Amino acid sequence: MRKGLGLLVLLAGLAWAQTSLKVGVILPLSGASAVAGKAALNGIQLAAEEANAGGKVRLELVVVDDGTDPSKAVPAFTKLMTVDKVDIVIGGLASGVTFALSGPVKQYGPLFLVIGAASSVVEQAFEGYPLFFHYHPWDYHNVAAALQFFQYLNREQGAKKVAILYEDGPFGSAGIGVYKQQLEKLGYQVQAEPYKTGSGQFTPILTRFRAFQPDILYWIGYDVDALPIAAQTRQVGLRPKLIYGAPPSWPIGFEKNPLSQDVAGMTAWLPTLSNLESRRFVEAYRKKYGEVTEEYMAPMGYVIVKSLALAAERAGSPDKNRIAEALAGLRLNTPFGPLSFKPSDTGKTRYQGFGPEIWFQFQYIQGTRRPVFPKEKASVPLRYPGEYYLR
Amino acid sequence: MELLLQTFLNGVLMAGVYALVATGLALSLGVVGIVNFAHGEFLMLGAYLSYLLFAFCGVDPLLSLGLAFLAAFLVGGLTYRGLIRPVLRAPELNQMLLTFGLSVFLQNLALLLFGADTRVVAPPYQAATLALGPFFLGAVPLGAFLLSLALLLALHAFLTRAPLGLAMRAVAQNRLASGLLGIEAEGVYLLTFGLSAALAGVAGVMLSVMLYASPTVGFLFTLKSFAIVALAGLGNLKGVLPAALVLALAEALVSTYVPGGGGLVEAVFFLVLFLALVGRAWRGA
Repeated sequence: MRKGLGLLVLLAGLAWAQTSLKVGVILPLSGASAVAGKAALNGIQLAAEEANAGGKVRLELVVVDDGTDPSKAVPAFTKLMTVDKVDIVIGGLASGVTFALSGPVKQYGPLFLVIGAASSVVEQAFEGYPLFFHYHPWDYHNVAAALQFFQYLNREQGAKKVAILYEDGPFGSAGIGVYKQQLEKLGYQVQAEPYKTGSGQFTPILTRFRAFQPDILYWIGYDVDALPIAAQTRQVGLRPKLIYGAPPSWPIGFEKNPLSQDVAGMTAWLPTLSNLESRRFVEAYRKKYGEVTEEYMAPMGYVIVKSLALAAERAGSPDKNRIAEALAGLRLNTPFGPLSFKPSDTGKTRYQGFGPEIWFQFQYIQGTRRPVFPKEKASVPLRYPGEYYLR
Repeated sequence: MELLLQTFLNGVLMAGVYALVATGLALSLGVVGIVNFAHGEFLMLGAYLSYLLFAFCGVDPLLSLGLAFLAAFLVGGLTYRGLIRPVLRAPELNQMLLTFGLSVFLQNLALLLFGADTRVVAPPYQAATLALGPFFLGAVPLGAFLLSLALLLALHAFLTRAPLGLAMRAVAQNRLASGLLGIEAEGVYLLTFGLSAALAGVAGVMLSVMLYASPTVGFLFTLKSFAIVALAGLGNLKGVLPAALVLALAEALVSTYVPGGGGLVEAVFFLVLFLALVGRAWRGA
């Protein structure tokens, strides 16, 4: 009887010492960004499970789908605020959706931990909002990292011409003019053509590119375009030295397709990275889900919850302002490298997590993505020119 | 000149697939009298079947063609018996809402089963190319074009020579008169709807190799098929191939010669549809 009472007191004490948080998670679980959204959710749930097992923080996740659609995202967010009454929200993967959420976020005032939303339009929209923590690099960081690679290709590999295929929506078209100018400043001749994503018809544009004889074929679009571009490039007899893609995610099974060989792209993380935190994450992910992901949004979600749990533990309170304060002073090793918050480069937002340093270039080589640039992150040398052979 | 000829070749090859999808739509519209907004979802069925057989059984998409034809025929037949037949005499708006609802349902079912992820197959001939002097022909688009042509010729022979095909045309022309001659319209409708779905299923397999499988892969092709059917004249099967050629060539030319034309591809079929409807209205006036 006495033992039972003691145990009860101990449990009550533990529960009292534990910081309990109800956290809203708003992600694209359907629509164009669903692959990245589901990966992010997996990472978030894994970290929440680990945090709860640690015993110092108790996280309860309330997950809603934003459908990669502002008209679905705003009611879903409002539900989190008014029905579920959460004070902390993780989300903001697609820029368009996050931009649409800027008004409601300012209205309800949660601690908003943003996983994606790289567009600087979002940075502007959240200017001055005190509880905005942006983990993902901004678009100017992405451009800086890509340009560093193009500079290397120009100076070390002698690449002179870039043909850009960009989808004509906000994702592909935003900043294309500036991008073109910056490539020209690096010494490239650039020819850029828009296309309609999902149309699958690239042969006319690629035929036109043939006369231009580009060294690099660079496409900015979605996963649906990856295979048609890889196949039709060969079918029209275009022979670039590098096919470089920048979709938010790649199609399932693309790595097993021989047409993916030597196709390059940029990512922030791959499971083959050798840092300790990355290896730990991969092991934990495999244990929970029975597979390994290549989506960098999975560790990004994981990092957000890990940092939140640590901040809540340090704050010793579920109060969003105290947690934000703890988060602002946090230093954490992550699968991407060290994380700490500082003002964004433009000074518009106060808490920016990662910068251009987390990006690296990879190439599909024999069925897997291998880091190839910068040299300190490369596991194999860049294959340039790539073997985009005719068969 | 070389660019122009290559552009024509690109357009002609694409026209084959367009014609195959649009013929199915023209059949259901011309014979059964149903505007089938779910036509693209039969195409999606073929694409997923090809993907699943390739991914889990290693079956080459070429071998999936026959199976996709049969599977889509079966699904089309069941759809007719379960959903279309009860609304045959209902107002056209009800029929259209039904097929639109079916389209949404099938897309969401695919979303539920496979997710929104794009899935691709990898047969060894996927990027094979024939180089004819300065011109390049993708082996898969060429194969798809030839297969489409063969299927359309077979369909033409069936409709003009086989008793069942003649019955289909008779029902399409006048249901009452064909009934008086002893042709069982119900059976013809069932066969037609199944055949319409089967053609889309075969096109889906081709598109799984040329593009990808995803819940929305058929949507764009349905829209383009409507433009082709409108251009050909509702229910006019013979006009489908020339109309498909017009659309595909227009797309290829705009894409190649208009600055930023790649982004205008979807506008081309709307323009074709618009011009076809306005042209008909003028002729009818």
